[in-house]
Amino acid sequence: MKPFEYYSPQSVAEACALLAQLGSGAKILAGGTDVLVELRKSADDVASSIIDITGISSLKGIEESSNTIVIKPLTTHTEILRSALVGTYAPLLKTAVAGIGSPQIRNRGTIGGNIMNAAACADTVPPLIALGARIRLQSSTGDRTVALSEFFTKPYITVAQRGELLVEIRFPKLPSDARSSFMKLGRRNALSISRLSVAAILTRDQSGVLTDARIVPGASLPTWHRVSEAENLLIGHKPTRELFVEAGKKVSDIMISFTGRRWSTEYKEPVIAVLVRRALEECH
Amino acid sequence: MKFVLIRTIINGRQYDLEVTGTKRGCEIGECGACTVLMNGQAVNSCLVLAPQIDNQEILTIEGLADGEKLHPLQESFLDHDAVHCGFCTPGMLMSAKDLLDHTPDPSEHEIRTAISGNLCRCSGYQQIVDAIKEVEGVSREQ
Ligand SMILES: Cc1cc2nc3c(=O)[nH]c(=O)nc-3n(C[C@H](O)[C@H](O)[C@H](O)COP(=O)(O)OP(=O)(O)OC[C@H]3O[C@@H](n4cnc5c(N)ncnc54)[C@H](O)[C@@H]3O)c2cc1C
Ligand code: FES
Ligand code: FES
Repeated sequence: MKPFEYYSPQSVAEACALLAQLGSGAKILAGGTDVLVELRKSADDVASSIIDITGISSLKGIEESSNTIVIKPLTTHTEILRSALVGTYAPLLKTAVAGIGSPQIRNRGTIGGNIMNAAACADTVPPLIALGARIRLQSSTGDRTVALSEFFTKPYITVAQRGELLVEIRFPKLPSDARSSFMKLGRRNALSISRLSVAAILTRDQSGVLTDARIVPGASLPTWHRVSEAENLLIGHKPTRELFVEAGKKVSDIMISFTGRRWSTEYKEPVIAVLVRRALEECH
Repeated sequence: MKFVLIRTIINGRQYDLEVTGTKRGCEIGECGACTVLMNGQAVNSCLVLAPQIDNQEILTIEGLADGEKLHPLQESFLDHDAVHCGFCTPGMLMSAKDLLDHTPDPSEHEIRTAISGNLCRCSGYQQIVDAIKEVEGVSREQ
């Protein structure tokens, strides 16, 4: 590990000022479960200064207003897992964080770090996009809100500018009649990075007809987004296994239309279809 | 505040304090050999920078026994032959302590989840799971 300067600002304003002042060599440190691994690679382009934001108490916690859940970026995966608000209003997010890394990683790793690291396998992102999350970014010159679905441009690349701090994640509460799920396929149960994943939300009316459907695959498309082509197959119909199979095939077709056929397609094509079907079946 | 530093807790501990119970394995958060409790929660010490533990409560394996008297978890690990080469043991014990502190009567599933971030290359895990399960038996009887 190369030497670096270490700063621990105690407020968002202080952190933003440091980011502006230190420029391109500065790296924000939250739980460190991605940053520390990166620092150890001791490549030439590692950070020359670390801005540890874990002392900023206003960036911690989960809050609700009448229709909205607000999660602050320094909230750890363990805190999300134990949150009654998330369990009630965003159960698929709870399922997703339960599968991240290991207890040790969940105790340190934060939702903000998971989003800002922007790895294709980030497990909180598909659920958050399905929930319609928006994030707030703050810098020394102002702040702005971005829909999470428009935040990522490709793996590890986002529209965040240098000097912007993620300060808030917010999404509408799921209605009480909505059902949701998250499924992840890794190489083993713990400590496995998602090879493929799916977040799904379904809402039925009184007669059992689907009125809302949201499907967001993870780690399979160039960036995360809802697959409206598959969602539209479901809305207005009563759920059946055949319908879910069809939606799964559609997602798989869309994936191939983006990625083209390559060595992994033979495996991924049927697997993503089955994963989508199972995720939809879980929404009962 | 401004420092220049090149060490995470685990390096700092070993070289500066000469306490060597906490093990250094992968150094990328995957093996759990370096697990310590930070404010009562199991964390990979290889992923925590030294200045981050300023004013935080850290418990390492050295603090588990009460002087010469082993912690019930340590006794149980010995009783169940859960220690083979012993490299994973300090980390396993810290993860197990976090579990039992928060979940006094864990299910087998909860035990396996609690140690899912700790790799053991010798035991096949069963003895470790049994040791954690049984220590519970001991404390329930008391
Ligand atoms: C062994 C292991 C297993 C893992 N398993 C999984 C897994 O199963 N699923 C998964 O999704 N991830 C996994 N991860 C990756 C990682 O743990 C998560 O992405 C975690 O949520 C990152 O959060 P952090 O707080 O540790 O981020 P950090 O490492 O502190 O930061 C990550 C990135 O985000 C930036 N950043 C952090 N906070 C902010 C902010 N508020 N504003 C602006 N930028 C910010 C940092 O500068 C950095 O670029 C694993 C990592 C390890 C080491
Ligand atoms: S040395 Fe820290 S997890 Fe392996
Ligand atoms: S006893 Fe050898 S690694 Fe666990």
